[in-house]
Parts: sequence; structure tokens; C-alpha cells
Amino acid sequence: MVRDSAIPPESFDEILAWLNADRDVAANLYVQLRDDLTKIFNWNRCSDPEGLTDEAFDRVARKVHELRKTFEGDPRLFFYGVARNLIRENPKKVKTQVSLENMDLPANPVSETEAENANLLEECLHTCLQKLSGDKRELILNYYAKEKQAKIRHRTEMAQRLGTSVETLRVRVYRIRATLEQCIERCLDRASRGKQ
Amino acid sequence: MKEETVTDAALRQFLLGDVDDEERQRIESLFVTDAQARERILTAEQDLVEDYLEDSLTAADKERFLDLYGSTSAQRQKLRITKSIKDWAAGEQKAAAAGSSVSSFWGRLTARLGLKPMFVIPIAATALIAIVIALVWLNSRTGERNRQAAFNQELARLNEPERLRETPAGLILLTLRPGSVRGVGAQQELVKAADTQIVELRLVWNQKEHYPGYRAIIRRVGSNESLTLPPLHADNDGNTIRLRISAHVLTRGVYQVELSGTGADGSTGPTEEYQFTVSG
Repeated sequence: MVRDSAIPPESFDEILAWLNADRDVAANLYVQLRDDLTKIFNWNRCSDPEGLTDEAFDRVARKVHELRKTFEGDPRLFFYGVARNLIRENPKKVKTQVSLENMDLPANPVSETEAENANLLEECLHTCLQKLSGDKRELILNYYAKEKQAKIRHRTEMAQRLGTSVETLRVRVYRIRATLEQCIERCLDRASRGKQ
Repeated sequence: MKEETVTDAALRQFLLGDVDDEERQRIESLFVTDAQARERILTAEQDLVEDYLEDSLTAADKERFLDLYGSTSAQRQKLRITKSIKDWAAGEQKAAAAGSSVSSFWGRLTARLGLKPMFVIPIAATALIAIVIALVWLNSRTGERNRQAAFNQELARLNEPERLRETPAGLILLTLRPGSVRGVGAQQELVKAADTQIVELRLVWNQKEHYPGYRAIIRRVGSNESLTLPPLHADNDGNTIRLRISAHVLTRGVYQVELSGTGADGSTGPTEEYQFTVSG
């Protein structure tokens, strides 16, 4: 999506103030809302989810001064409403399905570049794993120890050992994995910029 | 998020794009406003990605999944990252399992018994010593059994009827009459020479009844060990039973022989006793 606007500083401050009176809390909500809208655009098969997220924030920024006075309810729902309008306006992205077999998976590198990427991914994975605490690394390791049917029983037993529910365990692992994946993405991003 | 309103199955349908607009908007609204709902949806998505990587999705779901999660390079990179984490965990587990196959027994034992590591080493050492002693004992028992089996085979071979008719080199004869134990008559003496290899004892049977078979047991007086001969037969006259043993079995000392008649039905008849001295 081609965009030529950016949120002016005063609008940005107003958005934060609208999201929460506490600026730190507001900043976290802002970041999370951006991620959430990007995900929603993805779920709706929109092309350029990041661009649409920028557009949604731009549209809100242009009205935020008025909205703070008139809109009742959770401001995040207004952002979501804008996103829905964008989804209706935006054509679905062209289906470019790629099967697992065709994906350039690290386990089957077929070219020098792919092999290099696979090595880079492995390096980033190990770098980021070192940044996790021992407990978290152990939790991830155990959680993914089994596959398919065996994993259900394994995770139930694991939750019992930890004195928690399987649901709580899933959420805990999700948070650790999200942190790990973000770290790996940043690491890969730095590496690719370094090569340019 | 009201748990009863969105089931795991409904979430999976939503994530695969298989819900109507109303349900979609309801779930998406919860996603942006309800922290608990958000985490639940994201963990459901995590499970879905995992199922895809394990190739556990149906063909239709796999197609829907790839349409939503594998159509851009950024999405494919996310899948690769998740796969790398799973592969790392699986690899670590395999390496740990291979490395601890020997110690897993102790691991399970200590876990089951709640033992502290400081107690495990002495217990393991004690158990190891016990195992070594048991192996040595078993080995000696096995050796003893093997020696006994070889000795019995040798006895059986020496007392085969056709061999008893032969007179091999190094054979010496000693005829024994019953009742020597009780001091009736002079005690016979066996003097072994350097070249003595086989000793033949000729046991005189004074009983009126004769038997189809005889059983002989030789004991060294003052020792608990005994030697049971294979089934023996009387000579043609029925009054002498011959038996042969290797000379090396007989060491210096007094020996006692018990000879019993054995009926055709296995019943045991009267017993005669003999005694002799080994010297030389």
C-alpha cells in the first residue's frame, strides 16, 4: 500500500492519552494494538497487512481530537472498526499458496543462499536461546519434546508436575515462544541488513 | 472472554477462515479488547501451526492453513522459525535420551524412591559390588557345575560295559569285600603308582539276592563330598560288581563305598559297605 502520511506528534500523544491515562501503559497498548490489527488483516487475507495497519492508525489520528470527546467505550474497538472498513475496501490478496514441500525449509536447503539462511536461522536460534533463562529454555524444550498423540499426554503430565493446568502451560509457553520468535526475527533482520 | 461462547473448535475454524462474518467480528473484537481472549486465540493459533508442522491437518485444513499462513515470505519465515524451535527441542531430547539410557534406570529409581544424589553414589557402588560378587559366585558355580559334568561324563565312559572288558594301560585293581568299615577283616589298601591312571574296584556282593542294577556311592571319610557312580551291573557270576574311576580323584585317605541293589521297578535293595585306604 502506498502511503504518504505519518502520524503528527501531537496526534500520536492524543492517541496514547486516549488509550490510557498512564503513558507507559498506553505505549504498551499502542504497540499491542498495532500487532493485533496486523494479525487481523492477515487473518482476512489482506495484502500488505503492515501498510493497512499504518493506514488505520493514520485515519484514527486524523479524528482523534474529536473522538476523545465523542466516542464512548473501549477506544481499541474504534480502531478495529476502522480496520474492518479497510478490509472491506481492500481486495483480497492473490492466492499464492506454497506447500510445505515447496517451502525452503532449513532441513532441506537446496541452494547456497538457502543453506546460508538455514545456518543463519540456526545461529540466531542459539543466540536467542542463550538469552532465555534456564527455566524457560527447559520449559520450551520439554513442551516440544513429543509430537502428535504423544504430546497430549506428555503435556498433561507436564502441567501436573508444574502444578498448573494445561491451558496455563500453553499460555506460558506461548509467551516464551513469542519472545523467542521476536528475538530470532530481529536477529535475522540485523543479519540481512548487515549483508546489504 | 466467555469461555462457553467460543470453543476450541470454533477458534480453529476462525483461524482457518471458516466462519461467517458475524462470528468473525465477534472473535476479532474480543481479540483486541480482552487480554485473556487474545492469549487464548494466539495459543490456539500456536497449536494449529504445530499441527501443520507435524503434518496432522486434514488435506482441506492444510490448504486453508497455507492460504492464510504460508502465502507470503514473512509468513513462511515465521513458520521456519517455529519449525527450527521444534526441531531444536526434538534434537535436544533425542541427544539427552541417548546420553542417559544407562543412567535412566537410576534416574527413575531415585525419582521413585525420592533419593537425594548424595545417597545415590554409595547405593550404586554397593549395588555394583554386589553384582560383581554375584557374578564371581555364579561364575565359580558354573565352573564347578562344568567340572562336575565333565567328571560324570568321564565316569560314565569309564564304566561302559564294553570298556570294562578292556584293560587299558595304567589300570590297577582292588577287590573289596563288604564289612570292612566295621573292622571285620583287614582294610584293603590301594597304593597308587606314578603311572596309575585308572583304579578298578571289584566289589564282592555277598547278598543272596541279585539285582539287575547296582548303585555305588564313594565317600572320603572325613569329607562331605561324595561320588555317585553311574548305574552298574554285576559280572556274569552275579557276585562281583566292577567300577572304575580315574586315579587322580583318589587322594591319600580312607574311603568308604556303599553299594545298593536296584530293582527293575527302581526300588532299592539291601546295601553293602566297603572301605579302603589310598596311599602312595
